[in-house]
Amino acid sequence: MSTGKRKRGGAFAGAGLRPAPKGRQIDAAALAQVQALLGERPRRPDLLIEYLHLLQDHNGHLPVAQLNALAFELRLTPAEVYEVATFYHHFDVVKEGDAPPPPITVRVCDSIACHVAGADALLDALRDALGSSVRVQPAPCVGRCDAAPVTVVGNNAVEHATVGSVSAAVRERRIEPVLPRYTDLDAYRASGGYRILAECVSGARSADDVIAQVDASGLRGLGGAGFPVARKWQFVRGTPEPRCVAINADEGEPGTFKDRYCLESDPHRVLEGALLAAWAVGASVVVIYLRDEYAAVRTILEREIAALLGDPPCALPSIHLRRGAGAYICGEETSLLESAEGKRGEPRLRPPFPAQAGIFGWPTLVQNVETAYWLRTVLESGPDAFREKGQRGRTGQRYFSVSGRVARPGVYLAGNGVSIRELIELAGGMADGHELYAFLPGGASGGILPASLADEPLDFDVLAQYGCFIGSAAIVILSQHDSVKDAAHNLMRFFAHESCGKCTPCRVGTAKSEILMREQQWNLPVLQDLAQVMNDASICGLGQAAPNPFRSVLRFFPQELQS
Amino acid sequence: MSGRNGAAPLYPGEKPVGPPGARTPVALLETRLGYGRYAPTGDAVRFTLNGREIEARADETILQAAAREGVEIPHLCYMEGMRPDGNCRACMVEVEGERVLVASCSRRPMPGMNVRTDSDRALHSQRMVLELLVNDAPQPPNLDTELGHWAARLGVSAGRFPMRPQPAPDLSHPGMQVHLEACIQCTRCVRACREVQVNDVIGYANRGNAAKIVFDFDDPMGESTCVGCGECVQACPTGALLPSLSLLAR
Repeated sequence: MSTGKRKRGGAFAGAGLRPAPKGRQIDAAALAQVQALLGERPRRPDLLIEYLHLLQDHNGHLPVAQLNALAFELRLTPAEVYEVATFYHHFDVVKEGDAPPPPITVRVCDSIACHVAGADALLDALRDALGSSVRVQPAPCVGRCDAAPVTVVGNNAVEHATVGSVSAAVRERRIEPVLPRYTDLDAYRASGGYRILAECVSGARSADDVIAQVDASGLRGLGGAGFPVARKWQFVRGTPEPRCVAINADEGEPGTFKDRYCLESDPHRVLEGALLAAWAVGASVVVIYLRDEYAAVRTILEREIAALLGDPPCALPSIHLRRGAGAYICGEETSLLESAEGKRGEPRLRPPFPAQAGIFGWPTLVQNVETAYWLRTVLESGPDAFREKGQRGRTGQRYFSVSGRVARPGVYLAGNGVSIRELIELAGGMADGHELYAFLPGGASGGILPASLADEPLDFDVLAQYGCFIGSAAIVILSQHDSVKDAAHNLMRFFAHESCGKCTPCRVGTAKSEILMREQQWNLPVLQDLAQVMNDASICGLGQAAPNPFRSVLRFFPQELQS
Repeated sequence: MSGRNGAAPLYPGEKPVGPPGARTPVALLETRLGYGRYAPTGDAVRFTLNGREIEARADETILQAAAREGVEIPHLCYMEGMRPDGNCRACMVEVEGERVLVASCSRRPMPGMNVRTDSDRALHSQRMVLELLVNDAPQPPNLDTELGHWAARLGVSAGRFPMRPQPAPDLSHPGMQVHLEACIQCTRCVRACREVQVNDVIGYANRGNAAKIVFDFDDPMGESTCVGCGECVQACPTGALLPSLSLLAR
């Protein structure tokens, strides 16, 4: 049996019989290749995305004949495999007769921080310089906004990219990630790591005490929603077993790179936090969902999880590392659950909430990387010490990702309640020749505020009166050389590119808004109608927050609308 | 080729996935949604609909209870007898105390809930969703379809937005035609094919505004594994899937 398209006529035509069943047949050679690649791995449908990576990494693309064979192996149908493979940006499905992509893909980040650092010109220049033997693509935020503009050659992130440095990486085939120096298992243990976890598991600390301490610390979810951690734990704890903890390492919000910082500097602190959370809620499974853009982190986690399991400090739940495939939407907690089940990363309707029915319907605690990161600190130094880090009447501390027009962009630790002006000072002041004009308090979703609000305390809830939110604390600073109207268009382009396509307001609304926002003169009544339906009627936070930058322009930067 | 339905381990040593007794995707969805065999049972629920107190059965959604009371809510991706998916967002209603609107096809009323199907905010979203969908459909809208019916009912028409690029029709199947230029991505055909008939030939591929209905690997319908059962044609609310003209002429 070869590439099976239904053939008319032939020896069976007169008898009215088919030479083969309808549709594509399994190609024997492709099946043998897929079986060899899968080896002894379990044929479980929830591992579909992992296996698609296996094929993509092996071939540089996904030939349809192999997808058909993979479907056969996993007892899935062609449609189920195809719809997942075409959902994620990092998979390239190639049909018979179509040309596969060139062996090296160069992804040029064009999200807000790289955009103001000249990503568009870099993209054009790279297309000219590298020619057709390399695929040059614009890509959404790759989480290195402190080194903008960034270009990723294969899996190798070239920071402060120039045509010269990217061309050199391509020429020298430097396509593997460069591992940063980080605290490994031995060093982490030497500094008292996993002591608290061992105390918990051995019974020296009780779950009630630990939850009370976390509650007293005021620690809130640092992925964006800011839900009190202890309260979420209480919900999950009271649900039927089996339970699951999902660590959201799909940091994709433009301007955010603090989770990468945590994982690349002190991965075991995050792992211990995840295991503490799992112990506190009585979960037997921990899933870490990591975005595919963080290739270095993937290597670190694979290595360190293996080391941990090889020499466990105490009894551990099962730990699974899941690899995303290029989809911002999978940072949305219910999309993450779908993707972790090997499906398209489309959000689920709530209720039921993940705490009631998450991965495979199991009650699931979804926790951000940085939230897990702080748990050891909270339990080691006590809740009061953590609370007192806050400023101006706020409590606790967190990492702020500061990028854009500052002298030293980077991750800065500050107490909640810190102001933008203070964060700019931490980041070495404004960049030369730039004055503060506007800032994004929470990445693409959090809206845009004018310089006049630079002294407002930053924390959850306080920016709501301005139609904005702090979310993942991705601070992007814009100056007098930037246009907020242009930034709003860049952000809407991001949302349209990253919309999953499930619900009408977001799928159609972001696409239409993006086209209308290209115009010099914005059609405000139509755009406002679109903003309202996206905000009111989208299933998840992506569509609900997509109009925030547009609304900020109307409210705070009306002078930019007069041409 | 069968769907994801193997209850027994396929390979020696394979670990079971999902809660016991709920290994098929449909059963998993039903568990999550509290739908089908997992639907709640119990006492009727009293709640307020447009200022009037009404009663709903424990397994009824807001949309079903409203329909029984004669209150019409626009809907496209919802079809009686099929798992609600809540993706078209035409049936949005306002629930007191909730930050955003609620898809009435996918939400059960709670005791004391105050629901408005006719508030300015709810109507704005209902109309905008219909307008966005009609805008990208062939003109004039076909009033015999559910899309045309609801667009006329809400008084919306095309023209305010740029139109999407439109695909060519697929006429490869002897019994059915595929006109994706009329498709609204409601996935009723996907559920008809996958969950009602369990053929699993139709999928929802790509992402964002490029998301589309496909057969197998985006193959022409006539060359796919489609068995021609016609369930998708029955399910389609827009005429994107139609019986062939040759069949109609008979």
